[in-house]
Amino acid sequence: MARGEGRLTDIGARRRRRARRALTTPGLLGLPVAWLAVFFLVPIGIVAAYSIDALAIFPGKHPITLDGWRELLHSGIYLGLFWKSVKMSLIVSAIVVLLAYPLAYYLALSGTKRKYVLLLILIAPFLTSYLLRVLAWKVILGSQGVVNSFLFWTGLRSPDHPIEQLLYSRFAVMLVLAYIWLPFVALPIFVSLENLDMRLLEAASDLGATRWQAFLRVTLPLSAPGAAAAFLFIFIPTVGEFVTPSLVGGTSGYMYGNQISDLFGTGFPDWRTGSVLALFLLAVIASFTLVFSRFTRTSQVVG
Amino acid sequence: MENGDGIIQRRLTRQDLLKLAAVTGGAGIVAGRAGAAGAMRAQLAAESGRLQVLDWAGYGNDGGQAMFAQYVKQHPANKPQFTYMTNEADALAKLHAGLEPDLFRPYVGWVKYFATSGLVQPWDPSLISNFKHLNPFMVKAGQYNGKQYGIPDDWGFDAILYRADKVKPKSRSFNLLWDERYKGKIAWYDDPVLMLTVAGLYFGFKDPWNQTDAELKKSQQLLISKKHLVRLIWSSETDMDNAFASGDLWIAYAWPNDWVQMKAKKLNVVYMHPKEKPIAWVGMFMLLQGAARPKLAHAYVNAWSSAPSGKWLEDNYGYGHANTVARPSSSDLLKALQLSNPRAVTLPNAYLDRDVPRRAVYARLWQEVKAA
Repeated sequence: MARGEGRLTDIGARRRRRARRALTTPGLLGLPVAWLAVFFLVPIGIVAAYSIDALAIFPGKHPITLDGWRELLHSGIYLGLFWKSVKMSLIVSAIVVLLAYPLAYYLALSGTKRKYVLLLILIAPFLTSYLLRVLAWKVILGSQGVVNSFLFWTGLRSPDHPIEQLLYSRFAVMLVLAYIWLPFVALPIFVSLENLDMRLLEAASDLGATRWQAFLRVTLPLSAPGAAAAFLFIFIPTVGEFVTPSLVGGTSGYMYGNQISDLFGTGFPDWRTGSVLALFLLAVIASFTLVFSRFTRTSQVVG
Repeated sequence: MENGDGIIQRRLTRQDLLKLAAVTGGAGIVAGRAGAAGAMRAQLAAESGRLQVLDWAGYGNDGGQAMFAQYVKQHPANKPQFTYMTNEADALAKLHAGLEPDLFRPYVGWVKYFATSGLVQPWDPSLISNFKHLNPFMVKAGQYNGKQYGIPDDWGFDAILYRADKVKPKSRSFNLLWDERYKGKIAWYDDPVLMLTVAGLYFGFKDPWNQTDAELKKSQQLLISKKHLVRLIWSSETDMDNAFASGDLWIAYAWPNDWVQMKAKKLNVVYMHPKEKPIAWVGMFMLLQGAARPKLAHAYVNAWSSAPSGKWLEDNYGYGHANTVARPSSSDLLKALQLSNPRAVTLPNAYLDRDVPRRAVYARLWQEVKAA
């Protein structure tokens, strides 16, 4: 009898533990999922509703229509601007990854005791405002800015002929974006290099590989997911960027994000076209990210 | 000068009295003038909180304080709180997005649009003691269907500012804005209508504010084909001024204030009125439908409409002011901007900006110019 009661108590405790475990996962996931739903999925749903005129900012009847989407797909101008932004973003991402890799390599593998101090210095600009960092470049790149003034001083350029392309140009946008995002790119590469199993490099050396061969055949392939993640980290936000181009881009540095911003604001409000352009950007970036991460195993770094 | 509150207390219209009767349950009316005054105080007290103003940069606590100082002195508990607009379209977007200001300042070309939009309500000029000093032509421009939807205030021109030491215009024309010789030194203004209107004026179209599809296409093509010459399409006046002052720009679509600012920086600048005639604008205060503080809004506009405010605006920003008593300290400024000409904003001097029936079409084409 007593043994039977004990067994029943055990079964009860086990059931309670199982029930607790069953509740743990939804309990832990509930908040993030709710957050995602309220602050990501619902806004996207609202934007989608604007894109087909199911919602409209102007009063009156608005039949649901796909005209906005048709116009985008037949508009050489909007697609051209999108392609221009993608190209600018790809160039910035590639150049910054190439610049950040040796930096991260040095920090992670040089064995310096000060690597975390150097890392802190690398991310120090983040302690100041984004806007301030962008505006500082206007002082550097302007016709009377630091660079041109130096060239005047050296006699390489006359004050009547400063280098105009430094500011209010596509170059200025790409330069400032590269500067802004460089630390973001260096960090994932640094993490991936830091986690490298050093025994593999020793083995390569034991087997007769030169340092360059060891780098090409061991370090680079193993750090590639980090570099790919870094590439994504910069490509995703820069392709839809609008603050930097509006400050230093001028006419030629105008990007797809500026067009979306204008359609929602300073242009005569055209939220339908703005929503279509925003969703198109979201869809392309999401697809690109999925394909890219599948082939480059970025989850090893990101996840 | 009469005190705005005094006016409010003395000139109660029948409509106001009926409203007050509702507020006080009729007791105030029965009790006579003393009761009405008490009810008025109750209504003003009911208009609590800070006056919400949607206005342009430079007209709020960022440098424009002198122009509404009288209001702040009279209503220290209801100081204005500002949200800034970059243009009327931006204001429209903000209003539709849920912003609820008591008043805002679109320009004369938008009077009809907003008056018919249901977003604004007419003012009661009897509550604005300085109203009688305002330029009658501009006052009329603020009316729609006989109601005063806009109270005129600042005015000026959209014309061309250029560096006289660097630029030698071939003719006094808008085509300086796309002169190949000055590639990379030119700035246009980012507005859904104005640059296409300028192109229309340049081509000599019959009605540049209401161009046909073919005319619009031609205007758009001109702007797209000349855009490579343009370094900056500005929406922030400060950005443009900084770029101009630093030598990044030599030619700009600009306002009189920019001429004043560049003169102050000792630059050799000319503010050119093109032969096609500049576009003139008049700022119009508008009272939002359902504004929570209508009486305070009237007091605020009254302060802006005063002669001292007008003089300050003319002296410091180089804009004209609708108050005909206001005169700048500088006779040069008076002459250059024709501030003493009561019809400076209209023909034969300039084209007063006006309603654009197909504003959305213009806006779409302008967006395409920027994206192209």
